Amino acid sequence: MNTTFRNEPLLELRRGPVRNEALQALAALDARLPLEVPMLIGDDVVTGQVFASVDPSNPTTVVANAHAATAAHVHDAITAAERGQQVWSKRPTTERAAALSRAAGILRSRRFELAALAVREAGKPWAEADGDVAEAIDFLEYYAQNALVLDAGRPLVQMPGERNSMRYVPRGVTGVIAPWNFPLAIAAGMVSAALATGNAVVLKPAEQAPACAKAVVDALHAAGVPHDALALLPGGDEPGKALVADPRIHTIVFTGSVAAGLNILQTAHTMVPGQRHVKKVIAEMGGKNAIIVDSDADLDDVVPGLLKSAFGFAGQKCSAASRALIHRAVADELTERLAGALSTLRVGPAADFGTDVPPVIDIAAQQRIEGYIDSAAPLAQGDTRDDGFYVPPTLFAGLPTDHKIIQEEIFGPVLSLETVDSVEHACELVDAGGFALTGGLFSRSPRTIEHVSERTPVGNLYINREITGAMVGRQPFGGGRLSGTGPKAGGPDYLLQFVEARAVTENTVRHGLVV
Amino acid sequence: MAPNARIPGMAAPTQERPLDLERPIREIGTDLAARMPRPRAVSTARVERRMTELLMKDPALRAALFRFVDVRPACSSPADVTRHLHEFLVDAESKTARRATGITGRPLAQRPIAVAAAAGVKRMAQQFIIGEDARDALPEITKLWRNGVETTVDLLGEATVSETEADTYMRRCEETLRALASAATKPGQVNLSVKVSALTPLLRPTAPERGIEGARPRLERLLRVAKEVGAHLHVDMESFDTREAITALTLDLLSKPEFADGPSAGIVLQAYLVDSPEHLDELLHWAQSTPRTHPFVIRLVKGAYWDHEVVQAAQMGWAPPVFTDRHECDRNFEALTKRLIDATPTVKVAIASHNLRSISHAAAYADARGVGNEDLEFQILRGLGDDTQAAIAATGRQVRAYCPVGDLVAGMAYLVRRLLENTANDSFLAAAASGTDTAELLEAP
Ligand SMILES: Cc1cc2nc3c(=O)[nH]c(=O)nc-3n(C[C@H](O)[C@H](O)[C@H](O)COP(=O)(O)OP(=O)(O)OC[C@H]3O[C@@H](n4cnc5c(N)ncnc54)[C@H](O)[C@@H]3O)c2cc1C
Ligand SMILES: NC(=O)c1ccc[n+]([C@@H]2O[C@H](COP(=O)([O-])OP(=O)(O)OC[C@H]3O[C@@H](n4cnc5c(N)ncnc54)[C@H](O)[C@@H]3O)[C@@H](O)[C@H]2O)c1
Repeated sequence: MNTTFRNEPLLELRRGPVRNEALQALAALDARLPLEVPMLIGDDVVTGQVFASVDPSNPTTVVANAHAATAAHVHDAITAAERGQQVWSKRPTTERAAALSRAAGILRSRRFELAALAVREAGKPWAEADGDVAEAIDFLEYYAQNALVLDAGRPLVQMPGERNSMRYVPRGVTGVIAPWNFPLAIAAGMVSAALATGNAVVLKPAEQAPACAKAVVDALHAAGVPHDALALLPGGDEPGKALVADPRIHTIVFTGSVAAGLNILQTAHTMVPGQRHVKKVIAEMGGKNAIIVDSDADLDDVVPGLLKSAFGFAGQKCSAASRALIHRAVADELTERLAGALSTLRVGPAADFGTDVPPVIDIAAQQRIEGYIDSAAPLAQGDTRDDGFYVPPTLFAGLPTDHKIIQEEIFGPVLSLETVDSVEHACELVDAGGFALTGGLFSRSPRTIEHVSERTPVGNLYINREITGAMVGRQPFGGGRLSGTGPKAGGPDYLLQFVEARAVTENTVRHGLVV
Repeated sequence: MAPNARIPGMAAPTQERPLDLERPIREIGTDLAARMPRPRAVSTARVERRMTELLMKDPALRAALFRFVDVRPACSSPADVTRHLHEFLVDAESKTARRATGITGRPLAQRPIAVAAAAGVKRMAQQFIIGEDARDALPEITKLWRNGVETTVDLLGEATVSETEADTYMRRCEETLRALASAATKPGQVNLSVKVSALTPLLRPTAPERGIEGARPRLERLLRVAKEVGAHLHVDMESFDTREAITALTLDLLSKPEFADGPSAGIVLQAYLVDSPEHLDELLHWAQSTPRTHPFVIRLVKGAYWDHEVVQAAQMGWAPPVFTDRHECDRNFEALTKRLIDATPTVKVAIASHNLRSISHAAAYADARGVGNEDLEFQILRGLGDDTQAAIAATGRQVRAYCPVGDLVAGMAYLVRRLLENTANDSFLAAAASGTDTAELLEAP
């Protein structure tokens, strides 16, 4: 196993032959649709009530028929996972890490196919879909390596006559609840962190993208993770809630909306009869991310940076920008250029290489976002279509600070521009918000950059670039305040959330002698 | 051992060289070098040389200066200029930079320093940029014409992010073509270099067809205007992300029957690209099968986006599309030079370089093949290659200066790129400036 981590290379989609290979993989996938996604509980392949995931770019296409788990299935899966916990936690870390690395290899060998699946099931444009596969591979490799580092324990102060040691042990059966927007990467990341540290996992993926989650689980099983140690439970929030409430669960790893996250925190922290431990919740939640544009910013960089941050993947990234706080000195010029640039964005199917803004995930999201768009008069608006869950990319300007477009996470292709008197003024506006996930700053003043870096509450600050696209090992990701409970996914501290430390002190003095 | 000292009867070297170019290269190069103004004799050149040396030795100061030049046009007041300069210098860790901080940190010195720094950037810019617009630039251009130097004008601009901005750029191009035409004294004098990325906001690396369709109507219109006024239109090459779109669009438009008898037009081949030999195959194949009244011009350059290509590839995990060994790039430049000269008169060749070796090699090979000014010219960048231009012109070879036109804001990206190039440790100009002797500069790569 290699020990220096390197990010998985992205597909070089700017080359025609690579694009052709991607399209061939898509055609091959299309011929196999719809896929079947049963529950995987221990060694059992379990069927249940069927629900479909559809192609957001063409909702008549069923991508997968999945089988919804009920509370009873959750119960069975946790029972199997308790057996799995016994087996998996006793495997040497090296063996567990090797299994994860093998799983990464399997994903690597299915590179194009899995990107095609994310294109279809999540409506991710190719470059984003490919990034999702690469990030899934990165998480597997990165956590495998980090687990080996953690296994060595930490040095402690030693005294004559005593031997002190500390090592990390798995916390216990872990429930993973995943979102649809990084259907491969986030599921793979949360699952592999738990597995790498010796925990059995019950995965409840988002109902919009069960087939992507199954691809991850299949790879891990094929790589040698025992079936008991990793269960797959497709379905909506019903199995999610049952998972959180079960007293046998030790850790809950959740990524999704703040509403669901707060509900999970509350349930998890309510003791139920039979429960003998405090559950730990790792929650990565929403954001309301702002980009500050200083008077000395290079607008040639700002315009593409804002477009990419706000409208890439139709704004459906937790890191996406939805506010731009623009210094008065450049506000008029930037507003005009942005409005002009908005109309160059092509709204279209995720599978088209020429698409800039794909559809949103489902009809509920479409209606929710349209509700926001209809609540004020846009400054500029792009195209839309009616053959999928499309929403027109939309710019607002000059809304009052308490407007819901400025305060709430929209999770769609909507950007509002606000004029500020200074960078400090912008920092105050950011500081007043409840979320603190990502943020951006365009400035060419080293002191301003330093000041904002110190002052910002956000978990990830990006300077003079887009604010999306965190890379494993390079931009450890996660926010504070209502955006999350803090650990940085893809960073060196993440695995600590999945273990407990055991300190052992041995008296080495016998008959007055140090032995 | 000299070739004629070979022991009789011994096998000849495995690769028989049909032409020994090294001797004529040395002769041509030495002659050109002798015709360049002696740096020591010119005081501004000496200051500049000292500056270049200093910057090469002190990467932190170099970074500080470039960041200052970059932000200068966005500074609203002298205080703002001073603040940025001061911050960059504080940032730079070198001793030189720290000394300078002492000066700018004093409030009393603020205004003069800011004014001087602002003026410095402006002066520097004026060395590379010949005017704010075509009319402003005309005196300088006609002066070059009178001295037997041809020109190509490049309109600097901000990045094009909207259709309106693309239209504005197209109109500027059109106005420039007409303004130059009205001042021209002989046919073929008007020559404009255009960037496809300025003609459309739709260039997408993964969807070349979008950029092609976006730029098509505007480039087509410029070709018509160029034909009307008898101008040459040259399509510049940009980052690798856009090469496919730029090439396909240019060749496609020039294949239209209406452009077969004009205007004169051309494209650029970047020798730093690993697959440039295949790109040349494509260009030559097209040129051979598309008869034109004015032969298709291919400008050979090394390539201006080397850092960008290498950084982008590293961040994405790709093999870089460019050579990473200087010598490989230079050898490829020479191999492509030969193929291009061999392809005359189907194509016309422009060798665009400030590198004495690259230039001398092209001249020597052209001489050996009997290819003259009809089919071959040399091109230099205004401000960087002025001495080279004078020397080439003095030897009776055709030379053309690439003359950027635009305001300070628009010109800054161009200026920064040129400055970086000029002071990069492995650049020819930096080596020449630091006093490397001519024989060494002329060695085979
Ligand atoms: C008239 C004219 C028009 C031009 N038009 C274009 C154009 O349309 N598109 C464009 O891209 N450029 C264009 N250029 C710019 C040209 O690419 C640069 O001027 C050129 O790169 C400098 O090369 P040189 O031969 O003068 O100097 P040299 O010092 O001999 O070469 C420097 C060049 O070598 C290459 N290089 C540097 N380091 C390495 C390395 N480690 N490995 C491999 N290669 C390396 C880089 O390309 C670098 O720019 C033009 C130049 C001129 C003179
Ligand atoms: N901070 C991050 O790293 C990060 C990353 C991606 C997405 N997100 C956030 O995710 C949201 C979009 O994803 P989504 O629409 O899938 O979110 P969501 O909260 O609706 O659903 C996420 C998952 O939680 C489950 N779930 C919902 N309510 C639950 C409950 N009460 N108990 C247990 N499980 C429940 C869902 O079935 C799904 O699997 C956005 O708010 C976005 O900001 C955050």
